[in-house]
Amino acid sequence: MASLLVSPAEQDYITRGVEKGIRCDGRSNLDRRQVTLRTDMISQANGSARCRTGDLGLGTDVLVGIKAEVNTWQPGESEDQGSIVCSVECSPSAAQEFEGRGAEDLNVELTQLLDRILNGPQSGIDLRNLCIIPKQAYWVIHIDALVLDVKGSIVDTLMWATRAALLSTKLPRVVVETISDENGDTQAEFDVVDDPEDVAPLEGAENLPITVTFNQIGKRYVLDASEQEEAITQAKLTVAVSPQREICAVQKGGVLRGFPPSLVSEIMQTAQRVSQEELRQFDVLYAAARAEAERGGAEASTGSTFLNQF
Amino acid sequence: ISCRASVLDTADGSAYFEQGNTKVLVAVYGPREPRQKSLVPYDKALVNVEFNVAPFSTSERRKRSKNDKRLLEVAAFVKQTFESVIQTHVYPRSQINIYIQLLQHDGGTLEACINAATLALVDAGISMKDYVCACTAGFIDETPVLDLNFVEESSIETPDLTVAILPRTGKVALLQMESRLRSDKLEDVMDMAVSGCKSIHQKLDQAVMAAATDLSEKLGH
Repeated sequence: MASLLVSPAEQDYITRGVEKGIRCDGRSNLDRRQVTLRTDMISQANGSARCRTGDLGLGTDVLVGIKAEVNTWQPGESEDQGSIVCSVECSPSAAQEFEGRGAEDLNVELTQLLDRILNGPQSGIDLRNLCIIPKQAYWVIHIDALVLDVKGSIVDTLMWATRAALLSTKLPRVVVETISDENGDTQAEFDVVDDPEDVAPLEGAENLPITVTFNQIGKRYVLDASEQEEAITQAKLTVAVSPQREICAVQKGGVLRGFPPSLVSEIMQTAQRVSQEELRQFDVLYAAARAEAERGGAEASTGSTFLNQF
Repeated sequence: ISCRASVLDTADGSAYFEQGNTKVLVAVYGPREPRQKSLVPYDKALVNVEFNVAPFSTSERRKRSKNDKRLLEVAAFVKQTFESVIQTHVYPRSQINIYIQLLQHDGGTLEACINAATLALVDAGISMKDYVCACTAGFIDETPVLDLNFVEESSIETPDLTVAILPRTGKVALLQMESRLRSDKLEDVMDMAVSGCKSIHQKLDQAVMAAATDLSEKLGH
């Protein structure tokens, strides 16, 4: 992350505040900053979303675009599944250090995390639904995330944006026909319907998990750390929880030390509780974003990214 | 066309520029301490441009590596254009970084990048001789046409001329053309592009005024 210099006095101030349950900007330990969510802003993508935690210019901003492509089956791949390919890129507009190859480590880490959460039965999306014709063709869903601004809590924002984008993804319908040869062999052919209105949403996207990241500061932990809090954090635990209250993925990051085991189990319990609230909040925001996108029509694709208050 | 300055907080200057469906975000960091001290001339600033294209920006998804020749070419053009316009002797031995992020691609990327970069540089407070306004023009069916989009650009027969001018003096900072154009038609197409640049200049000026008024209001004037 962008390097931030924090003095020992500031560190002490923040730590003591967190142990009492109050943070620098007035939030309590488990409060998230204000989240703004917009969908359907990239007209050429099958699905897109942009999520910002915090205010414009002062928050973490992630833009996710989803594109679906048809791939031909190669021997060696699984015969009846599609696939999801993730890619996260941190734009140098977010921080000076991301120029050239500076963001590579962060990109790889976030890509792998997203990949681990999404690829597999725990993501809620059954990859078999993405198969068009077994052993012949399948859908590949490319998830491309672009991090435009980083001010702490990047994983959560990334997951919110990805979830919103996948929920709003529309796959074109595919017509599969079986044709018989002269020899009596049957061959299946598929045709992607070109009609932009004839689309179907991605099945299973409602079951996508949401992540909550807890940063340990002192003896307590906080949700949605700001830049300063992340600079003094001792250890970080990211938990992905699905709407069915199942834990889908866990990752511990953080450079200074490890978690005491009792804290880990406490965090897991809190994660399950907090994530249900977060999912509710997400649904509200997402519904508002979709309503706006539908109302806006053409307006949603232009101008809704930077020009308005967003 | 719509644009807005000062959209990012960490960058010294930033701008967002939209022309139809082409959307560009530019961040400017500088003047800063140079990365490689050996490259920096003793009496001028070094202008460094990096151009990034988002994979979802075109209708077919394409992930470009950082060293893609097309990207490097656009970056080199932008760099050349601004090296002549920024008063580099005011910032000796320092580096000015311009990071361009293309969010959506619908033709006219070079011109959008230059316009957005101008706005971002003004927002960063870097002294320049003048605005740089760019515009594309082409020739379809015997008529000069302004501002080609992606579909028009990709057709092989349409010549595509990008012109960047300094509005006050009318000098040409960048001229790039692909495909063939009859030399007698060149003047018409150029004139069209130059008049397009003038209207873009007005837009950029408005955006700068808006950002400046916003800032002065916040300062309490």
